[in-house]
Amino acid sequence: MGLVQRRQYYGLLFVAPAVIFFAIFFLYPIVIGFGLSLTDFTLLKPPVWVGLQNYQDLLNDRLFLKSLNVTIGFVLGSTVPVWFISLAMAVLFFQRFPGRELMKVLFFTPLLPSVVVVSVVWKLLLHPSGILSSVIGPIVGQMPIKWLFDLQLSPIMSVVVHDWHIAPFYMIIWLSGLTAIPPELRDAARVDGANALQSFLRVELPLLKPTAVFVAAISTIRAFQGFSIQFVLSPSQGGPLEVNTTLGIVIWKYGFQFFRMGDAAAISVVLFAFILIFTLFQLRLGRSDDFSLN
Amino acid sequence: MTAAKTYESDWAFEARLRRRIRNLILFSVALLISLLFFFPVYLMFSSSFKSEGEIFAIPMHWIPHEFQGFRQYEFAFESTRLERWYINSLVIAAVQTIATVFFGALAGYGFAKFRFPARNILFLFILSIMTVPFQILVIPMFVLVHQLGWHNTYQGLIMPGLISAFGVFMMRQFAYSVPDELLDAARIDGASEFSIFRRIVMPMLKPAAASLAIITFLFSWNSFLWPLVVAQNRDLVTLPVGLTYFSQSLDREPLWAVAMAVSTMATIPVILLFVFFQRYFIEGMMVSGIKG
Repeated sequence: MGLVQRRQYYGLLFVAPAVIFFAIFFLYPIVIGFGLSLTDFTLLKPPVWVGLQNYQDLLNDRLFLKSLNVTIGFVLGSTVPVWFISLAMAVLFFQRFPGRELMKVLFFTPLLPSVVVVSVVWKLLLHPSGILSSVIGPIVGQMPIKWLFDLQLSPIMSVVVHDWHIAPFYMIIWLSGLTAIPPELRDAARVDGANALQSFLRVELPLLKPTAVFVAAISTIRAFQGFSIQFVLSPSQGGPLEVNTTLGIVIWKYGFQFFRMGDAAAISVVLFAFILIFTLFQLRLGRSDDFSLN
Repeated sequence: MTAAKTYESDWAFEARLRRRIRNLILFSVALLISLLFFFPVYLMFSSSFKSEGEIFAIPMHWIPHEFQGFRQYEFAFESTRLERWYINSLVIAAVQTIATVFFGALAGYGFAKFRFPARNILFLFILSIMTVPFQILVIPMFVLVHQLGWHNTYQGLIMPGLISAFGVFMMRQFAYSVPDELLDAARIDGASEFSIFRRIVMPMLKPAAASLAIITFLFSWNSFLWPLVVAQNRDLVTLPVGLTYFSQSLDREPLWAVAMAVSTMATIPVILLFVFFQRYFIEGMMVSGIKG
């Protein structure tokens, strides 16, 4: 074996710590996760094999079915508005006007506090005696407004808080997509007599397709994982009456409140299946070149 | 002649007017929306200087009338174990950040610049990790940590996030740009492979490492689900978990001014990172989008 060839084995040495780490803290948990979903397990006694029983039980599990509904509602309710808001803000901040940089920073601030901080601050804003109730209450003729205790309003508030927090993040992704469009194309469209809207719809939007798919897929994948906002914002960790109980919260409840690890693992597998669909969608349609091997 | 001149200045005037109106509209719309987005953050900050009685004043006090100075902050330290939470969060974030950057650079360089057996399959393995969110792993990870006897320990809190697949992926992308000639020249000079990594590769990866360090710190500083389930011991509570104690007291109304003081304190490190490393901060967020 030549010297150059032997040198290549150093690569194996360099990647070894990471690979060994992931074998222990990723591969092994994935395997036992699937395994556990086929058992009844409470941490106290050894797991008992039940086959596909846990999955079968999920079909009649009221809390699980409810959370599936809540999660799909949250995904649809949050991703569609945030897609449009972040695009609109990117287009706005792509224009030149005085004070733009300062306003961009102000718009960006919701991204800085953590999700838990964001939820606690909004809990104050949405307090029945809070500012939003005292400003909007007189307009709709209802005082106080119990934003977080109302069965219809409460899940909408989870969406509002989520979109407020994350919109700046998608805005910068759109902005980088807009910046990547060669200015000559835009100028050419204008010379040909297109107005600003036509040039946006016909020239820029088609070129933004990879970004559009990317934002749609990533925001969907993230919304499926909804946990912290609902956990902290809602009055009783997913309430009232479970209208904010997402799949993430059900996994936490079954796992760490009821200690039904087998059921919690089965729900995790179901959640994974949902997320995998959108991941594959993103890889196929979106920036799959990011994942090339060479 | 005079007529033509007037016509032209009219035209220039009109163009200038149109530009001004356009600027004014853009300015107003952007200002309105930006203030709307900024308002909750401002409210968090201003409320932390109010007295509890002033929190729900109608109409809202934009600037505290009964300015409390740092009383609410002092009270937060006195009435809870805030100092401990803060140190816990800092220690965990620091260890995870250093390890993620170092092992990420090491493995990223290994994948980018060496051709060893099973390289592609191992890299695909790393890529596949990025498609699995932690939410799905939390149950089996807890069982694993439980088996290891790490429940309620710092190891239990830190180890699952010690290295990130995204870190390896990101550093690999940047390690490609290190010129092979430079590495070969060092080899001819007799440098060992590890000292090449330390002396040549690491310095060249610095900008990427800065972005990776910032987002890893943020990710760790903000992480909630894992600390929530793995550390019930009061000495191991992290800042986000501790903060929920303020908002979820069932028997009485939370002390909102204190909660806002703690929230502000939890956000200050992030604001500092943003102010001083804005470029790396934004770049890190951009590339982390891939992580999902």
